[in-house]
Amino acid sequence: MFNKILIANRGEIALRIIRTCKELGIKTVAVYSEADRDSLHVTFADEAVCIGPPPSKDSYLKIPSIISAAQVTGADAIHPGYGFLAENANFSEICQESKIKFIGPSSQMINAMGDKAYAKDTMKKNGVPVIPGSNGIIKSGDEGIKVSHEIGFPVIIKASAGGGGKGMRIVWEEKEFEKAFQTAKTETESAFGNSDVYIEKFIENPRHVEIQVLGDSFGNVYHYGERDCSVQRRHQKLIEETPSPAIDAEIRNKMGETAILGAKAVNYEGAGTIEFLLDKYKNFYFMEMNTRIQVEHPVTEVVYEVDLIRQQILVAAGRKVETLPKKPSGHSIEFRINAEDPENGFRPSPGKITSLHFPGGFGVRVDSHIYQSYTIPPYYDSLIAKLIVWGKNRQHAIARGRRVLEEFTVEGIKTTIPFHLKVLEDERFLSGNFDTSFLDNFVFK
Amino acid sequence: MDLNLIKKLVRIVDTSDITDLEVEESGFRVKIAKKIRAFQTAPVAEKVQEEKLPSKPEVQENTHEIRSPIVGTFYRAPAPDADSYVNVGDTVSPGSVLCIVEAMKLMNEIESDVSGKILKILVENGKPVEYNQPLFLIQVS
Repeated sequence: MFNKILIANRGEIALRIIRTCKELGIKTVAVYSEADRDSLHVTFADEAVCIGPPPSKDSYLKIPSIISAAQVTGADAIHPGYGFLAENANFSEICQESKIKFIGPSSQMINAMGDKAYAKDTMKKNGVPVIPGSNGIIKSGDEGIKVSHEIGFPVIIKASAGGGGKGMRIVWEEKEFEKAFQTAKTETESAFGNSDVYIEKFIENPRHVEIQVLGDSFGNVYHYGERDCSVQRRHQKLIEETPSPAIDAEIRNKMGETAILGAKAVNYEGAGTIEFLLDKYKNFYFMEMNTRIQVEHPVTEVVYEVDLIRQQILVAAGRKVETLPKKPSGHSIEFRINAEDPENGFRPSPGKITSLHFPGGFGVRVDSHIYQSYTIPPYYDSLIAKLIVWGKNRQHAIARGRRVLEEFTVEGIKTTIPFHLKVLEDERFLSGNFDTSFLDNFVFK
Repeated sequence: MDLNLIKKLVRIVDTSDITDLEVEESGFRVKIAKKIRAFQTAPVAEKVQEEKLPSKPEVQENTHEIRSPIVGTFYRAPAPDADSYVNVGDTVSPGSVLCIVEAMKLMNEIESDVSGKILKILVENGKPVEYNQPLFLIQVS
């Protein structure tokens, strides 16, 4: 087992990892930028090393500083958390060369799953359903129409070099295709200097449902059910829950087994998440695989009674997965509390917390690094707390969520607590019938 | 130095709410500080905020601190059996190599950016240093 783990992260996840390390009797090293001198993860780690000035690129993303900090403190493993260097293949490789165990996948694995086209191809070859699409670039309108009929309308034309919605056109029927094809090509040519486009089936009203997997070095891969993360604002998740109100036990088994198939196909070790899009007909399609622990992991922990960080560390140390999946117990919802002002376009609200009261009681978990009189620095993401509730069923969890959000008091900065309370009044959310477009039409206030 | 006196003072600090105690009396000065435990979150926050400007108070007029630009291990000499780059009292000028900070097997030479005399060497040979940690105090000429 590791003697000392350096946590290459900050905020709530750094604290989360430190907590599990302490329970395992492993010493901890925190790294921090000058802006995080007063941060809680620095206080609770056994040792702390200042690695740079506030900007992330000069501190939390600066590989030499982090490796050097591990060397001077004698750490034998590094946990990257999520974000920052967690899926940086270069970092994984440098750790390996420096004889420090990276608690995450190898650089080859990160590269493989990071290449979206390759990942999709690999999954498809192993029997994992993927979003049907053209085999490569579409050269003419006629070719496009032919492929669209094979896939089935509606389709979406996408730019090969694209992103940010540019060069995308949804086509509902054949007669619209030629015009959409031409305008998409023109748009992508001017945006990216490349007019190559391809076609995918357009999934209507998709839900984002992901499966948590764990693999060890003995070839065992397990799944711990799903998380429904459809409540998103600009592709940022805000509320996550398990079980998903959209699926039943049968679909869960199918998705779970498919996820295991995909993970085994790449000999996956450690904690990972396979993201699927679920369409309104309950078909699911592979979207991508995240080779790290996710922000929303606590909802799975609560319902499946598993410490996922602990499993990550055990597996990295060459042990078998200790906690096997069981039948999920109850319903869990996580609310991401950000230091943002929902009444003003969710603009960031850093500053000093003048008054703080965390909610408590039965079925409540708070993962947070904030404390009263703490000043939130403006350099990093705005997540200040994850509020996780458990209930016997979804209704119960929602009622508890309401109680807990009302009890949670933060003064001195703006937070998204009022926004979450508003969501809990919304008919669509309460019914469980919503998809990733939910917040597009949601009016706060 | 009266060891019994110091023991008494330590006990006083330990068993009270006092966090810092300084006593001076005819050439004898002692300062005792108590570290607050982490679980008292409010005191920690306030205590750490007092220390927010790490080594600024130490700097007197016309002195200049050389700080480490990287995380690594501090070495006074280019090799284990070689002479130190500088000693207290040595004169240095901009570009003079003062020490090595080793990181990931790379030896980084740290240079002075001022002219002056080495007043103090703030880190022991072979000890780890963090970003911006003060290494040398130079009396600027």
